[in-house]
Amino acid sequence: MTVFALIIINKAGGLIYNKTFHEAGLNKISTNDYLVLAGTFHGVHAITSRLNPVKNPANRASASAGGMLTRPDPPSGLEVLESENFRLQCFTTLTGVKFLLFTDTTQANVDQTIRRVYDMYSDYVMKNPFYQLEMPIRCDMYDRKLLSYIREINNR
Amino acid sequence: MVIYSFYIFDRHTECIYSKLWLPPSAAAAAAPALAAPATPATANIASDDAKLIFGTVFSLRNMVRKLGGDDDAFISYRTGQYKLHYYETASSLRFVMLTDTTTLSMRSVLHQIYINLWVEYVVKNPLAPVEHRRGDGVKNELFELGLDQFVRGLM
Repeated sequence: MTVFALIIINKAGGLIYNKTFHEAGLNKISTNDYLVLAGTFHGVHAITSRLNPVKNPANRASASAGGMLTRPDPPSGLEVLESENFRLQCFTTLTGVKFLLFTDTTQANVDQTIRRVYDMYSDYVMKNPFYQLEMPIRCDMYDRKLLSYIREINNR
Repeated sequence: MVIYSFYIFDRHTECIYSKLWLPPSAAAAAAPALAAPATPATANIASDDAKLIFGTVFSLRNMVRKLGGDDDAFISYRTGQYKLHYYETASSLRFVMLTDTTTLSMRSVLHQIYINLWVEYVVKNPLAPVEHRRGDGVKNELFELGLDQFVRGLM
């Protein structure tokens, strides 16, 4: 069970955080390539949410039957990507920030891990008065907490 | 297990075959729309979907190869609504299948379609062209029938 890397993409598709936890997991690529990857993923994510083969009118009917007019959930984009060597979990917050967690293919409970990473983001990044929104994350506290949390998982 | 659609792309990035299997509920909902004469607009939507799917798998495949090394292969992705399975042959023929989210890996199924249907009925057909411009040679009866039976057998 290994967590390889974490990438955070802001709502405009820009890379704002990028950390590798396990050197052997993924190929080393340059920062420029990471920026390209973040932008590409942002676009692909938007396309995958549009490619929905089921246009479900059933959902809408059940919502109105309950007497409550609820808006159906917006189609979610890519959530999990699997390849032979790794697994990529994507978590999109309501504000459009994407957390991408790269793990090995056998990793379990990644959604809990990514949730915890998001909690830490809101605690140590969003509550940092010096952090500017949409800008690269440079918060020592976040780095430290994240590293100790992921190290705990990787050594389990 | 529900299979929504199946696409084949050739090495020139062209969609040479596509087939949709609508689930019963969606088919009923789509029936009035289908009863109306098939306008160019609906045909365009289908071909747009194929282009979007190709763009997606192409980008993701390149991303996976960049991160996981040249021997890595993109297998599938899942969203909240559907799951896309991908299989690429050595001749960069790409097979894509869209299923519901609970389906397990369909890589072996796509591989079987390649071996048992594509190679048998399209490649071994002496009249089929080498390149399949606009799906020439793929839309033969044996291949389509075999594919339909195979997929319906899985569902």
